[in-house]
Amino acid sequence: MVASVRRVFELWGLYARLDMLYVLRGPQIALSFYVSDLILGMAAVTAMFLLAQRFDGIPPWSRDQMLFLLGYALLVRGTIDVFFNYNISFISRRIGRGQLDHVLVQPQPLWMVLLTEGFAPVTGAGMLLPGLLLIGWSVEQLQLSVTFAWLALLALSLACSIVVVLAFSYAWGSLAFWAPRSAEELNSSTWQLLTQLDVFPLDPLPTLALTGLLTFVPAGLVAWYPARALLGIDASPLGWLGLPAAALVLGSLCLFIFMRGLAHYGRTGSTRYLSYGHRR
Amino acid sequence: MAELDPHATCPTDTAVELSGVWKVYRVHQRSARLIDLARDLLRPRIRRIEALRGIDLTVRRGEVVAYAGPNGAGKSTTIKLLCGLLAPDGGRVRALGLDPVHDRVRYVGRISVVFGQRTELWWDHAVEASFEWKRVVWDIPRQRYEHMFKLVRELLDLDEVLRTTARELSLGQRMRADLAMALLTEPEILLLDEPTLGLDVLARRRILEFIRELNRERGVTVIVTSHDMAELEQLAGRIVLLHRGEIAFDGAFSELRRHLTGERVLSLETAVNAAPTLAGARLVRSDAGRHEYAYDARTVRLAELLEQAAAQTEVLDVETHRPPIDDVVADLYEHWLNSPSPTGRGPG
Repeated sequence: MVASVRRVFELWGLYARLDMLYVLRGPQIALSFYVSDLILGMAAVTAMFLLAQRFDGIPPWSRDQMLFLLGYALLVRGTIDVFFNYNISFISRRIGRGQLDHVLVQPQPLWMVLLTEGFAPVTGAGMLLPGLLLIGWSVEQLQLSVTFAWLALLALSLACSIVVVLAFSYAWGSLAFWAPRSAEELNSSTWQLLTQLDVFPLDPLPTLALTGLLTFVPAGLVAWYPARALLGIDASPLGWLGLPAAALVLGSLCLFIFMRGLAHYGRTGSTRYLSYGHRR
Repeated sequence: MAELDPHATCPTDTAVELSGVWKVYRVHQRSARLIDLARDLLRPRIRRIEALRGIDLTVRRGEVVAYAGPNGAGKSTTIKLLCGLLAPDGGRVRALGLDPVHDRVRYVGRISVVFGQRTELWWDHAVEASFEWKRVVWDIPRQRYEHMFKLVRELLDLDEVLRTTARELSLGQRMRADLAMALLTEPEILLLDEPTLGLDVLARRRILEFIRELNRERGVTVIVTSHDMAELEQLAGRIVLLHRGEIAFDGAFSELRRHLTGERVLSLETAVNAAPTLAGARLVRSDAGRHEYAYDARTVRLAELLEQAAAQTEVLDVETHRPPIDDVVADLYEHWLNSPSPTGRGPG
């Protein structure tokens, strides 16, 4: 266990160096990365931000609570970009392009490759900073007391939100094991689906729609649900424990589907191979 | 580099063992007609392709084995089975005493694979950054890495490419870099799937020489697939020919020639332009007093042919040779193509 953890950190160090090398090839590249990521991040939340600003919040959420929700959503995306870059979060591309072979010829457990190979702390950090700034600013405006317990809840919620996004992505992306060509870009759609919906406050929705957005398309679990607990809107035990429980269920379901797909891959192999960009 | 005897191997024990290995693919058959759409959806037609049909193959440590066959014969499937990328549908695959699928992590650390159409290099990084990646991921001790790096750098002449990004390399440079990277781990088995595909003559020769050197110096077991028979003959002492998923021949190249054909080519240069008629030999071409005949050395004696020629005209020069191995094997493939398919058996 200790050896595995040490190994994960060693590999993160390696991929961080590679990522740094990539950016240091030229200041223009670095600048273009950050500017484009910043624009993307801002574009993703601007509509909701302007609505919240214009109407002083979206009831029952105040403007500052909305900013916290947007910041949290950006933080989730930013963290995924940092840790699961290089099409690790868009696994349908790797599977569909026959590039999983590159992972399987490495002498490491598959989980370790998937956990480490996408680490891009420099090029992937574009959305992290605006997310942290929005959270910090809204926390100050809301005068939340930032205790150790609150920070721990934030970290736990963040980890669970990431598990939910990745589980959704991997569960659908695993279809590429069976249909490599048709499902290759499936994760672009699943990602778009979640990121378009995760910035909405879902309180006014009818129960049926809300249930759907907390289960089949778990966009509500990405930011809205944890933000309610972190802001004290839902202080019930379900508010605190619902997300970890959902992450566990979705993670297990995803693992089941992915392993089935992997077994199929072992039987049939990949019928196609696209060489471009298997490492960016 | 010293001239090497490709037949000189130093087997000590078994590196690879395939026992009764089957691999079957199921491919959906689809019609181009709209009217068949519903039927294809409701009752899909599936064609069963037996890529490997109960293959038995043993490769000893230190051997260089050429693995050849026409397209679809099962070459790449075997390489994938040996990498642990595919599991067999029947039979057993063992390499270095391990099961490539179940012992994947331990196993792939001891082998290396190079696919001609793929690269393990990081596309947007300098080649040396990819090498460093390999060192860390394969956990190669620093001293061993430095030693191998020095070796491959010299032998494959890598200085010009080390600081170039993979996407800026020519195909030959990329293959050399890929091969070098595969060797940094000092693999016990090197699997090469068409490693010289698309390379020019010079790049091809350098890579072949390097593989032979590696086998001779370090005793690396090499299994190499290619469509280029002459290249395989230079490289390997043993050739395994696959045909429709079965081993059609397993032995030395010289044995393959003997086994397949006694055909020889006789070239005559005569004082006149007209080609002499030789009983037992077939005139292949004739041009300005140079004539080429094909004959079967098992049934016709060369001396008889020369006597016949000398009786008809003045012979200025004589030359005989065996047909190139590519021609021999091409004839064989053509013969196979026209022979009926084997009937299905084996795992469902």
